[in-house]
Amino acid sequence: MAYDSDLSFVYFGPTKVVFGGGSSTSELESEISSLGCSRAIVVTDQGIIKAGLSENIIKTLGDKCVGVFSDVPQDTGIDVVNRGAAFAGEKGADIVISIGGGSVIDTAKGMCILLTEGGSLADYEGIQLLTRPQTPHIVIPTTAGTGSEVTWIAVIYDKEKGQKILIVESHNAPRVAILDPQLTIGLPPLLTASTGMDAMTHAIEAMTSIQREPLSDAMALHAIRLLSTWLPECLKDGRDLKARGQVQLAATMAGWAFGNALVGLVHAMAQSVGAVARVPHGVACGILLPWCMDFNLSDGEPETIAIYATVAEALGLSARGDDPGSSAAAAVKGSFDLLEEIGHPMKLSEFGVTEEHITEAADLSMADGAIINNIRYVSEKDEVLDIYRRAL
Amino acid sequence: MEAYKAFTQEWMDAWKEKIAGSKEYREIAKDWEGSVSITVNADPSKNIPQTVYMFTDYWHGDVNEFVICDAAKAQSAKFIMTGDYARWKQVAKKELDATKALMQGKLKLKGDLTYVVRNIKTVNKVIDLLTEVDTIFPDDV
Repeated sequence: MAYDSDLSFVYFGPTKVVFGGGSSTSELESEISSLGCSRAIVVTDQGIIKAGLSENIIKTLGDKCVGVFSDVPQDTGIDVVNRGAAFAGEKGADIVISIGGGSVIDTAKGMCILLTEGGSLADYEGIQLLTRPQTPHIVIPTTAGTGSEVTWIAVIYDKEKGQKILIVESHNAPRVAILDPQLTIGLPPLLTASTGMDAMTHAIEAMTSIQREPLSDAMALHAIRLLSTWLPECLKDGRDLKARGQVQLAATMAGWAFGNALVGLVHAMAQSVGAVARVPHGVACGILLPWCMDFNLSDGEPETIAIYATVAEALGLSARGDDPGSSAAAAVKGSFDLLEEIGHPMKLSEFGVTEEHITEAADLSMADGAIINNIRYVSEKDEVLDIYRRAL
Repeated sequence: MEAYKAFTQEWMDAWKEKIAGSKEYREIAKDWEGSVSITVNADPSKNIPQTVYMFTDYWHGDVNEFVICDAAKAQSAKFIMTGDYARWKQVAKKELDATKALMQGKLKLKGDLTYVVRNIKTVNKVIDLLTEVDTIFPDDV
């Protein structure tokens, strides 16, 4: 794997990571204090509360918790963020603590902007508009896959427009991510497998993005190593704290990788089939990943072969010095094998996807921004349709 | 080929002509609707004594208004892009990828980012066509 002589990039990853079993309670107070804050608003959802995942954390906060905002749906919206920020403002919050998955974390990201800048979240639709650090945000993720705890992107639904908006602000990256593997112990097998494959897709796609660079590659490669070793262990024994922790770390590393290098064809296709046929994002990523790798590899580009050969090494399927072509092919096969090993769905049709769905999704994929980052240029809708058919 | 001074009306006219004359652009941009303003922050050390505002308007492959304007008109665009002169020069010379520049905070965008992302090929084509305009940059004079 080589980089061009005119390599030029910015790597951004300002989030402090605190890791360890029980850290969500043992380390939280000191992290709040070290940020100079004392009035925390907790953002979470009803599922997390019912599962008892937030109880001890809120108890630990004691008087430092000035309120709990738990009215967060699965796909958060501008109205939710506006309500949450108004509530936090009334309570005089000076820090936001999110406990949950992507929707909760994105709600909290939006609230941090409004607590600092005021107004409605709709005013901040765009990219890099802010000029100062926002209200501090500590993320305590309860899944291991999105990487949202270390990215500065928030995806929020705009009811008025009937679409999701993106808010990309490096001034709004979470200050601290507390990774407590105990919080992921209760994730059911399918969610464990699919969120894990979401993380694997972030890592592999970051490496085959035309925006890849050495630091994101380093994060991606170690994420791949950890996921290939420990994700199967999580599926064998969901209560294996060590395995859960390694997968959580891998998801965070993959978050840094794709937060900088971006993603490619798999995400373009997964987002599209998700929009058309409601296939869960992680599941779609997992199913499509090996097929897209196969597509990328099939044009025989030496750079792609070299990258996938390195991926094969990280997957433990080849050694340095092995024939690159064979190693690259092993990476593709290894991705299929991993899906089988962890009991991940193998076909989109298992989720009701039909020929009609993929025809529509292929159109959407061609218009998806992620596709332009893909190492192999995708010029024809038929190329995408062919991949969908193979994965159907 | 005639060379044009960057950020002048003549330069914008030449750029507009390139876009309007591109069959490939017309095909790629068939879904694009709306205006984009470009703000180049003042940088006296680079011969940009005042902030420059440009307003460009596109509609389903057609190119409409393409003018140097004032701040108020720039603010009225559907998408507002802002950046320092040095960054815009890098973009115009294809030394800096526009997507990368946005993600890295080298350029700012106000507006529906998902729309831009969905239509990124249109954005890239408009920039590609700009590189075909023989440009004299203010700090190269």
